Amino acid sequence: MSEHTHASDVPAVSIKKMSKSFGDIEVLRDIDLVVNKGEVVSVLGSSGSGKSTMLRCINWLEEPDRGTIHIAGQRIGVNEHAGRKMTGKELATVRAKTGMVFQGFNLWPHLSVIQNVMEAPIYVKGMPKEQARAIAIELLEKVGLADKHNAFPFTLSGGQKQRVAIARALAMSPEVILFDEPTSALDPERVGEVLTVMKNLSAEGYTMIVVTHEMEFARAVSDQVVFLEKGLIIEKAPPAQFFTNPKTERVRKFLEISA
Amino acid sequence: MNGQAWLLLFEGAWTTLWISATAIAIGVVLGLAIALVRMAKVPFVDQLLVLYISLARATPLVTFVLFLFLSAPTFGINMNRNTAAIVAMTLNTAAFNAEIWRAAFLSFSREQKEAALACGMTSGVFFRRIMLPQMITTSLPGLVNEMSFLIKGSPAIAVIGIVDLTRVTNRIAAVTYDPLPPILAAALLYMLIISALLKLQAMAEKKANRLAM
Repeated sequence: MSEHTHASDVPAVSIKKMSKSFGDIEVLRDIDLVVNKGEVVSVLGSSGSGKSTMLRCINWLEEPDRGTIHIAGQRIGVNEHAGRKMTGKELATVRAKTGMVFQGFNLWPHLSVIQNVMEAPIYVKGMPKEQARAIAIELLEKVGLADKHNAFPFTLSGGQKQRVAIARALAMSPEVILFDEPTSALDPERVGEVLTVMKNLSAEGYTMIVVTHEMEFARAVSDQVVFLEKGLIIEKAPPAQFFTNPKTERVRKFLEISA
Repeated sequence: MNGQAWLLLFEGAWTTLWISATAIAIGVVLGLAIALVRMAKVPFVDQLLVLYISLARATPLVTFVLFLFLSAPTFGINMNRNTAAIVAMTLNTAAFNAEIWRAAFLSFSREQKEAALACGMTSGVFFRRIMLPQMITTSLPGLVNEMSFLIKGSPAIAVIGIVDLTRVTNRIAAVTYDPLPPILAAALLYMLIISALLKLQAMAEKKANRLAM
């Protein structure tokens, strides 16, 4: 999973004409987005612009009203052969191809660090315990927490919890990892350790969609930057172009304020 | 008290223990099942369960035992005393347990569920591996409380002729004309049983500290 040699293959994520409303409020409108394997896409925008909802539609935690989403070529949410909505089991199979990292970490507090990482490989993939354990140790080393593998989540700092959550997402070898404001709940001095891990993942060729307010990260790591405003993608560009020569007045203003 | 009296006392204690334990074991699981069905909010079934819970919680155990034992033959059901006692105690405790389990359901964090679904768990796996273990830990103090109430209420089954730990003290006193020693001994045995339960509760509370995030 190192080089970007499969860019011509099926995209990791492909979203077409996706829309979503909560009651009368249209949160997302006609979202089109293709994320190729190995790409990092940063999603920017002010609060309430629909960033998180967009991310949560990709793994069907929110059900979009219209449009299609494919994960590594497989449609999520709808069983196209049978022409009906997916059952819980079918949905779980597609979701297993994605990983998600949440703003609030969402670790399982009754399980130790390593158990948090091993849980899905064992009980979703049916992986033997020893193998899952070996993978978990490797991933915890990757995020710098191998020494904490027997600790329980309540003993960890926010940054450590989030790194465990990243290892948990990686454990399923997902086609894409969805990051929902992964550093927003952290103390400022803890943000760096999580961003460093994410930068390393991108260097290793992981496909990532990152909803974030971290401009520096978006500029340095992304292949594409997407800007959402009132549920619409109003700008989509490589970071060099996005940050130096934005097409819209709205993005120019946003960057001025964020700078 | 002589050896014969102690023997009778232990027999009574055993009766109290096995009937209560059976009712508790079934009642805890039945309570969970009722809470699960109630969470599904099936129309009519839900109202029926609410009615059952209200009735069971409002009726004294002794009344319930008597009613069940006397009314069963009317419905063509032949129940011996022990079965009637177990059924009555189970239905009584399950109603309270259902409310304890339901509270645990309602307070469970949505975030943990999303994390489970996001990595491909089905609702079944999520329930078994993530939700239930935590619900057991958080509900155990309440459940143990209810268990101790049930055991302390169990002398009610004497009303249909079962010789339990309390009833047996009467019998001993009827022979020895000295009611105080068997009553004191019975109280001691109740305390022993309950203290074993409290030990369990303390263990659960220790484990529950981990769940504080």
